[in-house]
Amino acid sequence: MIDERELRELLADLESDRVERTVSTTDTDKFCEAICAFANDMPGNNRPGYLIVGAQDDDGQVKGTEVTDRLLQKLSSYADSGQIVPLPSMTVQKMSLPEGDLAVVEVRPSDVPPVRYRGRVCIRRGPRKAIANEQEERILTERRTHRARTFDLRPCRGCGRDDLVLDLFQLTYLKAAIAPELVEENNRDMLLQMASLGFWCPTEACATNAGAILFSQDPLNWFPGAAIQYVRYQDDGLDSEVLDERRFEGDLITVLRELDGFLRTLFPSRPESTSALKEVIRTAYPMPAIRELLMNAVMHRDYESNAPIRFYWFRGRIEIQNPGGLYGAVTPETFPDQNDYRNPKIAEAMKILGYVNTFGRGIARTQRFLSDNGNPPADFCIDEPAFFLATIKETAR
Amino acid sequence: MRTITFFNNKGGVGKTTLVYHIAWMCAELGQRVLAVDLDPQANLTTMFIEEDRQAMLWPEEGGNSSILSCISPIIDGVGDIAEAPLQHIRPGIHLLPGDLGLSQFEDKLSDSWPRCLDGDKAAFRVITAFYRIIHHAAERVNADIVLMDVGPNLGAINRASLIASDHVVMPLAPGLFSLQGLRNLGPTLLTWRANWRQRLEAKPADLAIPMPMGIMKPAGYVVMQHVERKNRPVKAYQRWVEKIPEVYETYVLGNKGHVADTETEPNRIGFIKNYQSLMPLAEDARKPIFRLTPADGAIGAHAAAVSKCYMDFKHLTQEIIRRTDDAEGRGRK
Repeated sequence: MIDERELRELLADLESDRVERTVSTTDTDKFCEAICAFANDMPGNNRPGYLIVGAQDDDGQVKGTEVTDRLLQKLSSYADSGQIVPLPSMTVQKMSLPEGDLAVVEVRPSDVPPVRYRGRVCIRRGPRKAIANEQEERILTERRTHRARTFDLRPCRGCGRDDLVLDLFQLTYLKAAIAPELVEENNRDMLLQMASLGFWCPTEACATNAGAILFSQDPLNWFPGAAIQYVRYQDDGLDSEVLDERRFEGDLITVLRELDGFLRTLFPSRPESTSALKEVIRTAYPMPAIRELLMNAVMHRDYESNAPIRFYWFRGRIEIQNPGGLYGAVTPETFPDQNDYRNPKIAEAMKILGYVNTFGRGIARTQRFLSDNGNPPADFCIDEPAFFLATIKETAR
Repeated sequence: MRTITFFNNKGGVGKTTLVYHIAWMCAELGQRVLAVDLDPQANLTTMFIEEDRQAMLWPEEGGNSSILSCISPIIDGVGDIAEAPLQHIRPGIHLLPGDLGLSQFEDKLSDSWPRCLDGDKAAFRVITAFYRIIHHAAERVNADIVLMDVGPNLGAINRASLIASDHVVMPLAPGLFSLQGLRNLGPTLLTWRANWRQRLEAKPADLAIPMPMGIMKPAGYVVMQHVERKNRPVKAYQRWVEKIPEVYETYVLGNKGHVADTETEPNRIGFIKNYQSLMPLAEDARKPIFRLTPADGAIGAHAAAVSKCYMDFKHLTQEIIRRTDDAEGRGRK
């Protein structure tokens, strides 16, 4: 983070493309557009950009805005609200000058541009912001390919154009990912559009791993474990009789849709009266909690492992296990407060497809759904390096 | 700030759904919206607010945070309006929830209307209650646009709501009843406007409350395609669409002129289609059609329709914003 001298320089530099000053404390769109634009770093500064709340944009004067904890929290929340994807890397801080307080948001250039806010690629053109045109988007895309570090952005060699279902991308994904008016004016080749969204690697002429997982005809060719295995057992051990079994495999969009439909039929619910007029619905397991944990597993699993996601239903409990233990900044000490993403591109896709609303809330939401339904809290096995296991017990009522 | 009421005295044309979608689209377009539900059916409120949160709104469920809580001091005769219990729906949208109990206010309003002519201060307070509640609320959330949904009738509640609005948009279904309705509705608006002007002159000089101007300027109409298509041939539908311009010109605008070209009809703000298969998905997901995602079931052809719907509503909403952006001042942004 910057010190006071640097802050003063930024405030005074009215022509800089690395700083946006504002006195508004409520203009979400403006804030998110600025964060998105700094993350894209179109001018190629390779240095962070700053959104400064509490100073006038035309002369850099500090206005003496009240920087409340709530404002700081709101600013931080933009990082994982899911509105800006891929997730921006940023720090929020209150800084005090003799003239007054400022909220300073430091946004580091993204490793995986282009970053979109509500389906639009915001960039800086000098001191102003703009929406990237096709040429600018291509420049950003090219920057990504040699920087890409996460598994899902690496090239999936051998997965060429013929292995992809371009219709799936065009008809279902593209329309959800890109603002409608931009789709209308888009005349680019489908593979270039995939490249701009991180699913195609132009330099190697193959899909990225995320592209193969989401849009290839058979992802199992490249990721033998990319499936979800559902088994219902009669008793509480793996040796007991199997009552039902299913496997969900194929492109991720189809897997998620089938899984969603399946879950809706899985837990029969019955109404229970709480008064003459009211009733509540009780089920043995709340569907949204199970769904949340499965989505968590799909998002965070290690796709390089040959093991599937396991969704086992024993008598009295459900276990959901995914290959790959805690990742990156998430450790047994920081779980579940810290987030990190083994597969940020897949996380972004799940947000765009609507399976995730906000990032980093899955565990808390699960526990709330469970407690609302009368189940004990879920139990997580987090100290295994090779897998992550969640166990849910049946409601006592 | 501008106030727009969506009004039609024929029910079931999809008006509330229209208001809901336009509210979302206004927010998409960067406007700060206050949606006001003045229909005693409270359908707009149930679209915006999930069932378990509705419990907090209404007295039968133990809550008291609707339009009724602002006017109940007036209904009970124990005081003036209370502050509006606004619900924050999403960034850029606030809702003033409606209430089934709002119909209790009907008699009080009818009763006060003639008494305004005698310069009765209490009567003015009653008649301007909606206006003042909305005015304060809009200032509190710094709204650019107030969208009002009202019931399908020409009663006293709607008269008070319309007096509080600057602009009126009429959603019409192309059919006999809608046209017939327009023939009643047009003259009624003209009468209300004239009568309110008389009453403004009778206002006691020492009554220091904000007063609506009662402009209710017709902004145009939106043709709702969805009702009639079900079991009628498209040709019949077209016939009704062609009849609207003249009826609108004559009865709503009070002009005698004949409309020459029904294709380039300037009063028609746009058409809204029936999006048949998407509507149930949107209701399930509690969001507007144009925000449906593949997880909500909008895949393949549905996904394309979602995109199309977004553009339709974007154009319609931009057109409404443009038509209601008069530069006459009156303290607007």
